[in-house]
Amino acid sequence: MNKIESPAESRKMLDKIMTDLTRSITKKDELTRFWFFILIMFIIVGVWGWIIQIKTGLGVTGMRDYVSWGMYIANFVFFVAVSLIGFLISSALALLKISWAKPISRVAEQVAIAAVALAGIIIVMDMGRPDRFLNVFLHGRFASPIIWDVTVVTTYLTISVLLFYLPLIPDLALMRDHMADKLPKWKIKLYTILALGWKGNPEQYKIIYHSMRILMLLIIPVGLSIHTVTSWLFASTLRSGWDTTILGPYFVAGAFVAGTAAVIIVMFVYRVRYRLKDYFEDLHFDYMGKLLVFVCLVYLYFNINEYLVPGYKMKLGEGIHLRELFVGNYSVMFWFVQLTGLVLPIVLLLFRYFRKPFPIMVISFVVLVASWLKRYIIVIPTLEHPFLPVQNVPDHFKHYSPTSTEIMITIFSFVSAMLIITILAKLFPVITMWEYAEEKGIDKKYFSEKP
Amino acid sequence: MEKNSRRNFMKTLGASLGVAGIAGGSGLLNSCARVESNTGDKIKLLTSSGELVEVDKAQLKPADMPSLAENQKRGRAGIPGKSWVMVIDLSKCRNARECMKACQNHHQLRPEQHHINVLQMQDAEHTAPYYMPKPCQHCDNPPCTKVCPVNATFKRDDGIVLIDNERCIGCRFCIAACPYSARVFNWFEPRDAEKYAGVTYNIEANVPQKKGTISKCLFSADRLRDGKLPSCVSACPNGVYWFGDRNEDAVTNGTTKETVSFSELIKKNAAYTLMEELGTKPRVYYLPPKDRAFPFQGEIENQHKS
Amino acid sequence: MKLKSLKITAIMIFLSLAVSAQDWIVPDDQKNVANPLPYNLENVKKGKELFLKNCKSCHGDPGKNNVLPLVPPPVDITSEKMQKNTEGEIFYKITHGRGAMPQFGATISDDDRWRIVNYIQNFNPARQPMLVNAPATKAKLLASVNEQEKKVEIFAEYLAADGYIKLPNAEITISAKKNFGNIEIGKVRTGENGRAIFTIPETLIGDEEGYVNIVVALDETFIADVVTLDKAKVGQLKQVQKLIRPGVLWSTNENIQIWLLISYICVTGAAWLTIGYVAFQLFRIKKSSKTESSNIS
Repeated sequence: MNKIESPAESRKMLDKIMTDLTRSITKKDELTRFWFFILIMFIIVGVWGWIIQIKTGLGVTGMRDYVSWGMYIANFVFFVAVSLIGFLISSALALLKISWAKPISRVAEQVAIAAVALAGIIIVMDMGRPDRFLNVFLHGRFASPIIWDVTVVTTYLTISVLLFYLPLIPDLALMRDHMADKLPKWKIKLYTILALGWKGNPEQYKIIYHSMRILMLLIIPVGLSIHTVTSWLFASTLRSGWDTTILGPYFVAGAFVAGTAAVIIVMFVYRVRYRLKDYFEDLHFDYMGKLLVFVCLVYLYFNINEYLVPGYKMKLGEGIHLRELFVGNYSVMFWFVQLTGLVLPIVLLLFRYFRKPFPIMVISFVVLVASWLKRYIIVIPTLEHPFLPVQNVPDHFKHYSPTSTEIMITIFSFVSAMLIITILAKLFPVITMWEYAEEKGIDKKYFSEKP
Repeated sequence: MEKNSRRNFMKTLGASLGVAGIAGGSGLLNSCARVESNTGDKIKLLTSSGELVEVDKAQLKPADMPSLAENQKRGRAGIPGKSWVMVIDLSKCRNARECMKACQNHHQLRPEQHHINVLQMQDAEHTAPYYMPKPCQHCDNPPCTKVCPVNATFKRDDGIVLIDNERCIGCRFCIAACPYSARVFNWFEPRDAEKYAGVTYNIEANVPQKKGTISKCLFSADRLRDGKLPSCVSACPNGVYWFGDRNEDAVTNGTTKETVSFSELIKKNAAYTLMEELGTKPRVYYLPPKDRAFPFQGEIENQHKS
Repeated sequence: MKLKSLKITAIMIFLSLAVSAQDWIVPDDQKNVANPLPYNLENVKKGKELFLKNCKSCHGDPGKNNVLPLVPPPVDITSEKMQKNTEGEIFYKITHGRGAMPQFGATISDDDRWRIVNYIQNFNPARQPMLVNAPATKAKLLASVNEQEKKVEIFAEYLAADGYIKLPNAEITISAKKNFGNIEIGKVRTGENGRAIFTIPETLIGDEEGYVNIVVALDETFIADVVTLDKAKVGQLKQVQKLIRPGVLWSTNENIQIWLLISYICVTGAAWLTIGYVAFQLFRIKKSSKTESSNIS
């Protein structure tokens, strides 16, 4: 890190960084409004679907007594998975002092907050009696994995918000002090409140560093448990396909794949939309590509374990399940997921060309879609084949297919996640400005200068 | 002369049957659930035979209509000293489905909801197919109550696994956990919801059913409290079901009303429990479908062949 | 499946209609098979026992018309419809069954099935009845329990022309009341003096205090009140196991495992205390900015 000595240069540099990184906040055009309009329209449709579902009953979905968990639960697992990236990038990589990951950490936290918040909402939408949600706290049974899940999701959301907020405080102070003329009054007021009267004295920085470090350590066990506990919702049952001991690490590894892909997509959008080429550099995409290859390889390893071992033995129930996946009704989905979501990124991303921003964004998109489908084939085929035959029920009890209401509500969850990310990007810089400036060699004392 | 003497000889049998009938009727109101009624004198009650009857309010003792809280309390405690078991004789079942009908009637179930389901089974490709009535197994190591997040489903000391649908949040984790597919969900308003509107919830019959909550076989716990056999057991025309208290080592056949020693019955007929390898310790015992009383006439849909 | 089940129902309805509409045709070569067992008291008596055990639940008591209400309805064995069958036809029908009628070929031996045929023949107008020559007699039964020796002492007498006299060689059934019916614990015959002593088996289980309700009944050729001996302390104590005990994973919070609760509270508590500590740091930031500004001013 080269220190920039000249005050004028430092001020000029800081000014440029601030202009670039607050472009997401200051930028106002038709496209933004249109984007919000689209998102809100879909959200209204989704909420309407949920109202119908509450009025008529969960029967408006394709779920029935045998396949009693459907797209909602698959979607829930997907969102929990995506949220895990916050822990990987802003904690694990930061603690390992991998400096290239620093500018990405806020994007990762945005994704984590949006995903984990939506995971919570989806699970309420999946309940038969959402009006009794408080029973979970009034009558919570400590031996139930659902209680552990509720606990750990809440904890993870809180830590993620704090991890987002703490490094934001100096940025808020910067904006409060420098941008009063460029932004509406309410935003400045919001920044003033949230900045907690930040002065930028060494003691305050010390507190920030200290707290961040504690949270980064704390989020490691919490992050690991959030997805492990989610996997136990399945692994704690006796069903073929779920009744396996590696489901915890298997889920965690899969989560990193989904989350890395999601972050790459958001990075690319910011880079293009807010002209942040110099901040989300080719180098970042290159490293993220390598990270994706690495987590895909780990996930591939667990996949081989997950399918080879029971496939070798072919116990009755497991055999039915595996045949259904390999050559049965779910074979197209299964092989699409395994090939394009796992093998293909590993192969392609070994080449430098595919780690360039645009190609890797496309690959990440495919990986993300495959990740979602993967959760679908983890949840549904197992339920379609219970131990005892499914008889004396109408045909639609035997095979699950999601209904329009279900799809509406699932789209709602995606759109809501995007809305949360958009709002966060519209309110706060997408890269930590002060950290970035410091990295570039600007002394801290210039941050607290009033213009 | 001949005919006369025959009639005399039959009288004793008839008399004993008559007595049994009266004894059954007196228990009618014992465990009724209360209905809030605005009509004043008349009150609607749910009997343990699953019927709604209208009774004069003045005739009722307070004990006849336990409040919801009392009902839930005694429903969680169970019937003291008992340990209910069921024995299902597979060689007697001919898929008459009287058990399913009686059950759906008693527990306010839709036609596609089964607390008890008669399955057409075939264990391996070349073995003989047979009919298997499958109620909840009332496991002594129940996977369903293990996972419930709100204590809504629970085990009682008399062995029955029950549900409190005033507590259930509808997460359906118990459905996923049950290896016997014994649980059903109220995906819509339950059958005849208007008819049952206002009836105080009876936890031991899980009636009235509620939209968005779980239901399952509960050995007709409300009938057991009245000293009656479960609905399915009483309804069977073929002598398939034996039911009783393991503590006193006696089970009674619902059709013939014959009472025999439980331990001898299961020993003599080499009884087994369903999927004992899962460690769920079921309370429902099956007698193998050997020397069948009826030929198998169904169309076997063997999922194991897929 | 829906189609399939519809199909099955349709076939079943068709079958039952067909059954009620047509007679049950027995192949000619089976029709005239002769009963290999002689029609005598012994065989008819045995046949009656078999009938009571296997057939009564549907066909009811002979002549009472209390058959089970099935579609098509079972036939009372004294009826003309039943009696116009040949012995071979009845035997065939018992053996093969149809619709709701079980096939007894596998469960009752050939000889025993012929004995049931013999019993049904007892009600054939063309036959001399074997069983019912004696009209039912009024009788009285007295019984008491000797709790010390675990014995039931029984005395039976019947109404003869000149009043009640002791009843020798009568079969007495002793049962115990259970939840849903009486379980037979043994039979005993009265001696010449009309008395009988029944030793209660050691294995008999009573209630939690060992009380048993004993029922003593006379053979059904006599009209006699059943004697119920309530609360006889002659049984074993009923063992009631406590099913729900602390520490089982499937129970409610009242029986939660200590290790689980402690782990949950410790882990969750530690996480939230740490979060609380960080939240407290936020206040320190705020405080720190205030003190400094006051220093400057």
